[in-house]
Amino acid sequence: MTQLVQVLILGLLIGGVYALLASGLTLIFGVMNVINVAQGALFIFAAFLSWTLWKEAGIDPLLSALVTTPIMFAVGWLMYVGTIQWISGKPASMSVLLTFALALVIEGVSGMVWSTTSHSATPGYFASSYRIGDFYFPKAQVYGCGIAVIVLLALYALLRGTWLGRAIRAVSENVSSARLVGVNAHNVAALTFAVGVATTGAGGAIASVLYPFVPGSHYVWISRLLGIIVLGGMGSLPGAVIGALAMGVSETMTATYVSPRWATLVPYVVIMVVLLARPQGIMGAKLREDVVV
Amino acid sequence: MERAGELALRHGFAAAVAIGALGLLAYPLISDNLYYQNMIILSTLLAIMASGWNIISGFTGYVSLGHSVFLGIGAYTTALLSIRVFEGASPFWFVPVSAVVAGVFAAVVGAILMRTRGHAFVILTIAFLFVMQIVTLNWSDLTNGNHGVTLPLPRWDAAYQDWPFYYSLLGLLALSVALSWWIRRTKFGMGLIAIREDESKAAGVGINTRVYKVLAYIASAVFVGAAGGVYAYYLTFIDPRGMFRIIVSVQIVLAALLGGRGTIMGPVIGAFIFEPLNEVTNNVELLAGPRRLVFYGAFLAAIVLLLPRGIIPSLAEIRTRRREQRTAATVGQRLERPLVRVAERAPAAADPSGRPLLEVRGVGKRFGGLAALDDCTLAVPEGSITALIGPNGSGKTTLFNVVDGTMPHDHGEVWFDGRRIDGLSPWARAHAGIGRTFQITRLFREMTVLENVVTPLRSFSWRQLGADAVSGPEAERAEELLEFVGMRRFAPMRAGALSYGQQKLVELAQVLMLDPKLIMLDEPAGGINPTLIEHMAEMIRELNRRGTTFVIVEHNVPLVLGLCNPVHVLARGSCLCSGPPDTVQHDPAVLDAYLGEDYLAGVG
Repeated sequence: MTQLVQVLILGLLIGGVYALLASGLTLIFGVMNVINVAQGALFIFAAFLSWTLWKEAGIDPLLSALVTTPIMFAVGWLMYVGTIQWISGKPASMSVLLTFALALVIEGVSGMVWSTTSHSATPGYFASSYRIGDFYFPKAQVYGCGIAVIVLLALYALLRGTWLGRAIRAVSENVSSARLVGVNAHNVAALTFAVGVATTGAGGAIASVLYPFVPGSHYVWISRLLGIIVLGGMGSLPGAVIGALAMGVSETMTATYVSPRWATLVPYVVIMVVLLARPQGIMGAKLREDVVV
Repeated sequence: MERAGELALRHGFAAAVAIGALGLLAYPLISDNLYYQNMIILSTLLAIMASGWNIISGFTGYVSLGHSVFLGIGAYTTALLSIRVFEGASPFWFVPVSAVVAGVFAAVVGAILMRTRGHAFVILTIAFLFVMQIVTLNWSDLTNGNHGVTLPLPRWDAAYQDWPFYYSLLGLLALSVALSWWIRRTKFGMGLIAIREDESKAAGVGINTRVYKVLAYIASAVFVGAAGGVYAYYLTFIDPRGMFRIIVSVQIVLAALLGGRGTIMGPVIGAFIFEPLNEVTNNVELLAGPRRLVFYGAFLAAIVLLLPRGIIPSLAEIRTRRREQRTAATVGQRLERPLVRVAERAPAAADPSGRPLLEVRGVGKRFGGLAALDDCTLAVPEGSITALIGPNGSGKTTLFNVVDGTMPHDHGEVWFDGRRIDGLSPWARAHAGIGRTFQITRLFREMTVLENVVTPLRSFSWRQLGADAVSGPEAERAEELLEFVGMRRFAPMRAGALSYGQQKLVELAQVLMLDPKLIMLDEPAGGINPTLIEHMAEMIRELNRRGTTFVIVEHNVPLVLGLCNPVHVLARGSCLCSGPPDTVQHDPAVLDAYLGEDYLAGVG
């Protein structure tokens, strides 16, 4: 029983971080119907940035999120302007190919700058834990999850409370109507993409402490993130949070009770089962598909 | 002049391919350079994979980003058989087994994956690749996991170098290309293209899309599996990470896109351009290690952005665009006189109270909180021209979608010709005799007008899959139908190049090809000029005289009242009232819900 609760604690803490990483992916998909397969590579890139700031400038890797987030925002904006905007209206498979191509470029660039050896930021609290009763709360995970929650709340506030947020929601519901009422859909798409990519700044900062990473780690991560947003319903932010917690718990459970080797299989199984059994996910609404815009 | 030029180009292309093939056949006999032999072997391997990929992703339009999974499956099949089961036998014996195993995997996985499309399908193909990698890594009792499998070394005379690999792969490539060529000229291939262009439309004109897609997936996998067997023996050592590599899948897509997806030779040519480039750049310091990924990524991005259709189709497009510009003038020409020569059915007396051909009983369909159809009940008498009118959003098109199977309904029953059809697939309903046109025309844009009209299938049979795509009697009938709608002279044109009104006519001809008992027309007069509306009404009457029953959704009230009996009025998802046109147009409820008070005043 104690072990089960401990596993649940760890799973939920990881799930919080997953939720942050998946939020950008689901936000971008919701607004522009593009699955940004490069999201994983971008987040590994951000993790490398945090690692460098920690190694070279001694900045706490978690605090470096304040620096990496604006950098990733700029990267996202450039990516949109330089490439993504040119494939709007093309078949979905083309956008997957394009963002996959960008993922390769980013993976290659990360490898060129930081080499392909395993990296990990190890600040002082790296290996220590809080202890409450019989249960351990690893400090890095607690801080990471805390930051993730803060960023998610900020994102939620942005979507709910600002004009940009309303515009984003309007565009994600219906592009042409949003245009008619004066929303510049192009700018909204660019900003959404940039905001979506900016979440990898904080995500990368957290992950640089929690997990050792190499440039090629992004495959595992993007699979996991896809699993999460597919589970929660593509395009749904609350869905992404629920999906992330479920993914965190089920991975930790599999690693503890079956074998860590098979835990890597969990995201794929989730993707397959969900896409086939309930393609709209947990929170996704079933929409009319016959109205072709 | 132009024709001669085109003929020369086509012959030139065929000659170039033949010379290339001969060159490849002769190369090992002429030169003993192992470096180039290796390069050709790898290019051939990539060409086989790209050619297979092209069947599912080029012809059928389902982009797979994990197609190298079949290379891995084939490689492991041959490797494990030759070290675990039949020790001492030449691995070449197991190459056919690899093909079969890959095919079986494709059948099973395809039956599941093919239920999704678009993003979901691409993601699932990647997931399938990674799942196979993880399973081979972890199931070490069978696969040696991480440590990989070492195959026996070749035992032939060193003088023969890598010839057995070289020629067996070349043979597989020839088979693979032959398969693509054969598919492309059969009914099966045309069905695949139709699925690529518009899948639900394809299902609606009688194509069993489920079987077609799974067969295409199998066809795209078998030779890749066989090549994997040869490749494993060639390498003599395989491991999960090397065999189930996502980057190989990327190379496949790159090669096929580069040469041109959807063409027969494109993927092969693309592979023979890409792989040597890959080999050469591999030895360039500037492009080694992580830079290689940047190179691949930038290359793929550039193709997607700049040449999304590949080299061959882009060239062909420039040519056809020039040709279409020249025929554009004829598009505005007057329609030909309709000559009526369509299949005769025993004419049924249009008796509004007669036997119902189509019956909708208490059908409901919700979209989230909106009830598009709410306990809708109505009947279409056999031999009638029945109208379905009602305000926008009253559920008319949704009713069509439920009747033809485009959309599942929530509850209620649909009966057609004495049998319940609401559980049937769209193609089965088409086979039963329901044809349908769309409010916004949905032709297969990349096909010619003639191909569009011959695509519909009145039944499904395995034999028919292999029949010629456009066969004599069918083409003749299609031409007759085109003549009936006045579009015969447009037969060789690309459907996407036609005007909206012309597309409506072609869509009607396409539906007639099904020889349906019931035709459902969704706004046949919407957005077309008055002359054409008159022409359309004439054709509907003519077809009806010959026994075809119609259901028409239309906002053009004078047309409806002059043509149809009975008239059903839909409002908020259910049938408000039904009856002959003059009764309906005076019904207060109808005036209130649809026609408006001014209507009567207008009619006077």
